[in-house]
Amino acid sequence: MSTISQTSSRGKALGTGLAFPASLVVFLIILIPIVQLFRYSFNHFDPAEMMQSAFTFENYIKFFSDPYYRNIFFTTLWVAAVCTVLALVLGFPVAYFMAKTQSRYKSLFVILLVFPLLVGNVVRAAGWMVALGNAGVVNSILMGLGLIDQPLRMMYTPTAVVIGTTAVVMPYLILTLQSVLEGIDFSVEEAAQNLGANFFTTFRRIVVPIAAPGVAAGTMLVFILCMNAYATPVLLGGSGITMMAPAVYGQITRASNWPFGAALALILVVATLLIALCSNWLIHRRYVKTMGS
Amino acid sequence: MFAFMLCPLILIVWLSFFKDAILYFPPSGYTVSWYVRAWENAAFANGFLFSLQLAALSAVIGVVLGVLAALGIARFRFAGSRSVNTLLLSPLLIPGIVAGIAIYLFYLQAENTLDRDIVGTFGGLVLAHVCLTIPWTVRLVTAGMAGLDGSIEEAARNLGASGRVAFMRITLPMLRPSIVAAALFSFVVSFENLELSLSLVGPGMTTLPIAIMQYLEFNLDPTIAAVSAVQILLLGIIMLVTDRYVKLSQVV
Amino acid sequence: MAQVSIQNLKKQFGSSVAVSDFSLDIAEGELVAFLGPSGCGKTTTLRMIAGFIQPTAGSIFIGDKDVTNIPVHKRNTGMVFQRYALFPHMTVAENVAFGLEMHKVPKADRDDAIRRALDMVRMTALRDRYPRQLSGGQQQRVAIARALAIQPLVFLLDEPLSNLDAKLRGEVREEIRALQQRLGLTTIFVTHDQEEALAIADRMAIMHDGKVQQVGTPDALYERPANLFVADFLGKMNFFQGKTQAEGRFVSEQGTAIVVPGATTAVQVGVRPERVYLSAAPTSRVNSFAGTIESAVYLGSLVDVRVALPSGEKVLSQCVNIGEGSGKWAPGTPCHVSFEAADCVAFNQ
Repeated sequence: MSTISQTSSRGKALGTGLAFPASLVVFLIILIPIVQLFRYSFNHFDPAEMMQSAFTFENYIKFFSDPYYRNIFFTTLWVAAVCTVLALVLGFPVAYFMAKTQSRYKSLFVILLVFPLLVGNVVRAAGWMVALGNAGVVNSILMGLGLIDQPLRMMYTPTAVVIGTTAVVMPYLILTLQSVLEGIDFSVEEAAQNLGANFFTTFRRIVVPIAAPGVAAGTMLVFILCMNAYATPVLLGGSGITMMAPAVYGQITRASNWPFGAALALILVVATLLIALCSNWLIHRRYVKTMGS
Repeated sequence: MFAFMLCPLILIVWLSFFKDAILYFPPSGYTVSWYVRAWENAAFANGFLFSLQLAALSAVIGVVLGVLAALGIARFRFAGSRSVNTLLLSPLLIPGIVAGIAIYLFYLQAENTLDRDIVGTFGGLVLAHVCLTIPWTVRLVTAGMAGLDGSIEEAARNLGASGRVAFMRITLPMLRPSIVAAALFSFVVSFENLELSLSLVGPGMTTLPIAIMQYLEFNLDPTIAAVSAVQILLLGIIMLVTDRYVKLSQVV
Repeated sequence: MAQVSIQNLKKQFGSSVAVSDFSLDIAEGELVAFLGPSGCGKTTTLRMIAGFIQPTAGSIFIGDKDVTNIPVHKRNTGMVFQRYALFPHMTVAENVAFGLEMHKVPKADRDDAIRRALDMVRMTALRDRYPRQLSGGQQQRVAIARALAIQPLVFLLDEPLSNLDAKLRGEVREEIRALQQRLGLTTIFVTHDQEEALAIADRMAIMHDGKVQQVGTPDALYERPANLFVADFLGKMNFFQGKTQAEGRFVSEQGTAIVVPGATTAVQVGVRPERVYLSAAPTSRVNSFAGTIESAVYLGSLVDVRVALPSGEKVLSQCVNIGEGSGKWAPGTPCHVSFEAADCVAFNQ
């Protein structure tokens, strides 16, 4: 690097060399296995041999024709959608507050937000189990106040999964929204007010359109996270609700049906990406044409 | 809202001090005996140590590879550097469970071909975790490099430092916060990971999150709360330390 | 358009006072410039008038109405921001239309109003462009059109030219002034650039540390500064420190005697460099001193010549460059500097 310019051919070779080891690892451990998984989804399942080499769509057909599996898919979709919307509705005011606040505690708030993210989904789900169980906090308070005499059944229901998943993804959304809102030049909002727009009109006509692309990106991320959730649905949903990621795991490890499990996995990944990209594209069409990319 | 997001964690820590073995509110008393019990439980103690080792090793390897790669991509725009960047960040897009089983099946296949054990080995697990740490490292370090004021290095060269010296003595130290943050963050991400590890652990070895999960599938009591509280504490401390080096809000 | 009356306006942030006891009456159709260094409180005052900041004390009247507690969007002041603040997701025409919509101008009249506003700033051809497609100067003109389209009672400008390059600054400044006079807009123009303020203001208010130092027409402030800050901030000034020995007679610490009419208690006397005349021989002016040229800075149309007096004092003489050649100002040349008594300003501080 002593006299290597950044664009010389020696520079380029060096750059390639630097990036090579990491790329090799990721390529080998992530890319190849995924491709292989994709290939497996077209194989045939045999209870004796577990998998026979073939090229068939039977796994995919089985998925789409069996109402049980269709149900799993749509349940996952529904839960992900509900959680995304809830996170957006509940999280946006928080993000707005954090973007506008001048308080010295701002970085403390950020840390508080990031903290749950790093601690791990398993531990967070455990916490919700404490809250929502039959002998848990919520029930104890309600019974103590005399509002109910039988504990509310909250654990192992779709509701619990929605609550838990929303709590898991909200920090991501809030942080993304916050940085989008902070990126808007405040004097643009002031200009709108100066021209006669009250707070709500300014928000609706100025802030929302400018923030829309960033919001779309953040929502897409959150949606993907919800679709892929594993620990939360398993711990909080149990047998009361089955979602895609646990189903994938179950097929591979418990049923040992690799081809079918692979198909499920692929369906999950592809469907998630498709939905996310489509909605992103729609938002872009509506708002981004004016702002450039 | 903050309460909503934080309350599970608060509850778990609170529970870990309850006196009664069975969950009941309000608790009849408080004790720290569960922490001792938890440590005496082999599964948790081993899980904790194992996760520590795994996370440390994965972080170190991942940071080394990731930093090299980030430098290569950000400084030298070689053909396809953008695709390489995407490749290195791609693990973040794949659901953990899917990645886990894909790697598991791949290892099985590789076992046949190479005629050695891979599944259930420490090495195999580390390799998979490294794929977790590389993306975060690349992300943090490239962001750090983007934030660098290029004219500082130019000033050094103007004062007589060669390109290499300027890089080693000026630029690299300026990147130290990002690199340290990447290391710490990678450690955390690897430690708390569940889905990737589920498919790849072998007999006799388990990570702490897996041990917690398996226990939780059957019961919820102060012991598991104590274990979880320890994880919260450890990761929380690391997070606070990381925040000294890099503003966490930009990263996530 | 309406007149503006600011009464005892004060703004305090925590323990620091940004603006203290600001009072000023602005007549209808007048352009007043708030001038001062950064941090002097001029922008804070402007923003209080617009309504973005609540005063700690005092009141603001627009026309006959006390607007001190009226929210921003109901005050009908049109503001031009330093960084234009155009709505990035709207075209030029839509930007202008926004204010009209907020003021409930009927749709039928809106198009006319937009066209007139854009014509005023010569941006009609670009009405369908987006802000990011415009240059800085063009964006500024759109910002002006947008503020004026709503026919505000007061026209407020917050350092509108500071983000433009030098040549453009002069042009846009003249356009703003021409527009303001043609439409009879009551205008407040905040700037830190004295040339801007001097060029376009009917009156100026110079501020420092939150307090108004002096209010008056540009020439009044320049020729007869009320205190040292104003004297030093506007243009340059030669200062002599010393004592008044008798009425009209001032002696500097280094012994230079200066005739200053009317001075009784002055401890400093100032004279503008352009009123200090440089010559080879002594002149008939009452304040005339021999000296030696120390240095000369060539500024194109002007030359700043620094002359050292035998007493050690340095006097700056600003000469118009009429092509006499640089030999005239060679360092070491003996010369004479002289200035009229009437051009001296006495200060009691």
